Amino acid sequence: MTSSSKYRSRMIANTVIDLSISYQRENLLARGLGLEHLRELLVRLARPLLRQAASLAYGGRWKESEDNFTFDLLRLISAEQEDNSLGGPDTNLSIGRLVSHCPWPEYLEVTPRIEAQWINCCRIVRVTQQDAGIGAPDQVPDGEAGNGSDRAVFNSALTLSAMRRLAMDGMTIDLPGLASPEFVPPIMARVVLGGKTTGFHGFLPGIFEEALVALERRRPLYVLGGFGGAAEVLAGALLARGPDRPQALVLDALRAGNPGLDRLIGLATRFALPAGGRASAEALDALFALVDKARGNLPAVLNTGLDEIETREMLTTCDVSRAVQLVRKGLTATLGLGALAE
Amino acid sequence: MDNPIPEIYVLWHPRCALGEVLARRIHGWLRPGNGLGPQVFYRSLPAPDAPPGGLPSPLPGEFRPGQPAASGSRLANLQIVLLLIDEQMIADASWRFWIAQLGSAGQPATSRKFLPVALDSTAYNAPEALRALNFLRPAGLPLPADEQPGSGPATETVVRSLLKQLTEALCRLMLGRASSPAAQNPAGEPGQPKIVIFLSHAKVDGTVPAKRIRDYIYSQTQLGAFFDENDIPFGSAFGRVLQSNVESEQTAALIAVRSARYASRPWCRRELALFRRPLQESGTPPGLGERWRLNPVVVVDALEGGGRTSGIPELGNAPLIRWAEEVPDQEEQVVTTLLRDALLAAFHSAVGRTLSGAPDVIVVNWLPDPTTLLHIPRVREAKEDLRVHYPGRGLSGLELDILDEFFPRLAFHSFEATTS
Repeated sequence: MTSSSKYRSRMIANTVIDLSISYQRENLLARGLGLEHLRELLVRLARPLLRQAASLAYGGRWKESEDNFTFDLLRLISAEQEDNSLGGPDTNLSIGRLVSHCPWPEYLEVTPRIEAQWINCCRIVRVTQQDAGIGAPDQVPDGEAGNGSDRAVFNSALTLSAMRRLAMDGMTIDLPGLASPEFVPPIMARVVLGGKTTGFHGFLPGIFEEALVALERRRPLYVLGGFGGAAEVLAGALLARGPDRPQALVLDALRAGNPGLDRLIGLATRFALPAGGRASAEALDALFALVDKARGNLPAVLNTGLDEIETREMLTTCDVSRAVQLVRKGLTATLGLGALAE
Repeated sequence: MDNPIPEIYVLWHPRCALGEVLARRIHGWLRPGNGLGPQVFYRSLPAPDAPPGGLPSPLPGEFRPGQPAASGSRLANLQIVLLLIDEQMIADASWRFWIAQLGSAGQPATSRKFLPVALDSTAYNAPEALRALNFLRPAGLPLPADEQPGSGPATETVVRSLLKQLTEALCRLMLGRASSPAAQNPAGEPGQPKIVIFLSHAKVDGTVPAKRIRDYIYSQTQLGAFFDENDIPFGSAFGRVLQSNVESEQTAALIAVRSARYASRPWCRRELALFRRPLQESGTPPGLGERWRLNPVVVVDALEGGGRTSGIPELGNAPLIRWAEEVPDQEEQVVTTLLRDALLAAFHSAVGRTLSGAPDVIVVNWLPDPTTLLHIPRVREAKEDLRVHYPGRGLSGLELDILDEFFPRLAFHSFEATTS
């Protein structure tokens, strides 16, 4: 057995796994944890996936800050790629990379320099207003993206939702002058942790919308609710008994803490939604329907690859090691993640 | 306690701004990357379901009415509670009650030790159960009024001083087990540090770094024993003293001051070779593989600018600190790093003893490198496929590739991968 096959494989090559992990100090500290623990969790999840050639999706912004894990992941990938180059020029292919889906207007802050710097580690996938199905007359020029106009705010939310949807379906990107377009593979499994329930941008809290599109496509979904935030709210809803709809999944309750959402809901009555677009009420109803369905059979609806007890533990544990263990076990069952020495 | 495996809980009051800064630096110090070191958890903000101003989540083993019992890591058997005590904690009735309860409660399933830290003078008004303990007293407090915690040189002074004291205190807890004559302190008190430090240097290159380190150890630490050739009684066999201490159950550690002619001095090389040779632990039942430990070494690079010297293969992946005359308190950094590494070595040995054995398993307490692994006969002979279990959560791909080139019949597995 060679070093490459002992410690690396192409077991899940071309598979994209989304790590939707965000840091909220209060949530974590109340549970006895800090940024350090979250970073450890991320690396422990990411490295074995990369060594089996999976790519990671992570939706962080492109500004370096302590709590933005984009650069942590890039540095990890870069280090693993350098390590792997010892095995020969072809072995680089077996290390996954970062797929960074970036919606309009967020991608406007990604400079060519940033993109060039990380080009071997990361594919930045820009999701435009056109990708979101917004017709040309309704599109806002890039220069007016930050003017706070109703159209700009509305289009920004639409593009964010479209990005979450398209990332799950895969995207074909035309490359000017080339015959074959580039295909960005779809996200095949998602891990969610933390997340905001107030002060979010878009029609739903990010974690809710990401969970919704994953559940609709029956992709494995690992909701690590033990670390607080929107993931905890979602885990609580999944674990609740009976048919009751938790307040967190009721539109009026969401509106109460989010003036920005109130504005969006108003805008959705004035502007037409593009094909595939869903405003808050419809999306929230769809999410609750799936949550309600999952209550009867969590492992099957979440498609965790774990049994009932393990799935419940995954939804509630605040033990970093255990969370990593359960996600890896689930991915082994659902996607064929292998067991390598490490 | 036999085989102590600690996990550390750092407690600070939510209104103590310095607390979070210190807690994070403690985490970084005791978990120096790659999953090495004991787990460090925090207790500060109220638990998720607590009322505003309420208490943080309970500690594992703590009973609190209406709260589910917290669970710690499955491996730990020693809970170390590091209390960062300031006026906010002392004045808060809930916190006072809590820490008094913690101090007086019956022993939890894991044993609990307190390390109180005085962040100001009111700390000594802590509940009675804690007052009797010897407080850690970081230097540099109070911070100047114009310095925000975490953002200036005064904070660095506090952090450095706290980490030094904490490292020594943890060494006493972790390493204060077996004793040897060499490790007895002058008072012969039990529970005192038993770490034996050796200082290896080439006198021919001058003695400035070695002397500064030696003076620091004598004057500023509570280390139990320290040897260089001046400390061996005339007429004693230096080699035998060295050998017996290296091989004792005692944790020994070496500071090697690598100067221009260090590599060519036979005694220096002999000391180094002895320290970089892993020792097999006794007591592993037949059929359950082998357990090996390596004493920590810190190399001080004292080459003068533009100087050259030969490489020393025995050094393997030992950590190296560049000596610079102009850097103040470097000796403290060197010794504290060595003590921390001794602490980690003891911790990883203890964790290694809990792993399930098998005939083809070799457990080591250090991050493996070719030089040190070649001392293990079954590895060197390469007659069979073996699994090597090593501390942390995984070597980099580069290190795994290099090891695989040397040892194609070995498969390396981190402790974390083994236990998950």
